[in-house]
Amino acid sequence: MTKVLASRSFRGPASEDAIESVHNHLDSLWLDVPFVQDMDQMTFTTAVIESASNIVQHAEPAGQDPVDLGVDISVQPTLLQARVSAYHAKPPFGPMEPATPDEDAESGRGLALIQALVTTVTFERQDGTNTWVLTRTSQG
Amino acid sequence: MEFSYEVKDSYAEVKADGRLNMVSAPKLREFVTDVIAGASNRIVVNLENTAFMDSSGLGALIGCLKAARQAGGDLRIAAVQPQVKMVLQLTSMDKVLTAYGSAEEAFSDD
Repeated sequence: MTKVLASRSFRGPASEDAIESVHNHLDSLWLDVPFVQDMDQMTFTTAVIESASNIVQHAEPAGQDPVDLGVDISVQPTLLQARVSAYHAKPPFGPMEPATPDEDAESGRGLALIQALVTTVTFERQDGTNTWVLTRTSQG
Repeated sequence: MEFSYEVKDSYAEVKADGRLNMVSAPKLREFVTDVIAGASNRIVVNLENTAFMDSSGLGALIGCLKAARQAGGDLRIAAVQPQVKMVLQLTSMDKVLTAYGSAEEAFSDD
């Protein structure tokens, strides 16, 4: 059994308020695990917020229930993991490959940024829930 | 996030304190557009107290840069903190949005 040193979970309507709540959870999580280096905290926080924002901005409800955002973050001795989920959502539409926007484009950099920030990104869809699993191998 | 601005000799300095994310990005865009229209088309965004920026925030800065240039001016950023610097570098936008050490330095070369 992998040892989880600290964790935080959030679930709520996929709204702007949710982004601030998730960020506050991350800030408080890092206080529990001061041995996680600043660079790891910074990169992982950015990747989680990018992923959660992507859901708030783009996830569409599959039925009558509005989309919920779920974020589960765990810190293991040398691994940071986040499961960022869109509940009651349609499958993602369009390519999930990162784009290379023009330098004066005002959007389209999120996916490439996430990939640059973490070690692995995987996608799961189960029971109407889209989940992006982000991991970052930390410096320890 | 809190916005404020101050008109200096040859530019207007905009401060954006807090998290520049998908919530605050449209507000920055609106705020800077108003400063360009009402005060100066030469803008320095002082990011000294911007602890966090994501791709939405970056998109807003690019939008503000375009707005300033369309008005015949320019936009520069100053006092960038480590997380913002990281996002600029990973997206290669540090070449488009040159970071100056302080707001005073940003327009000192012209």
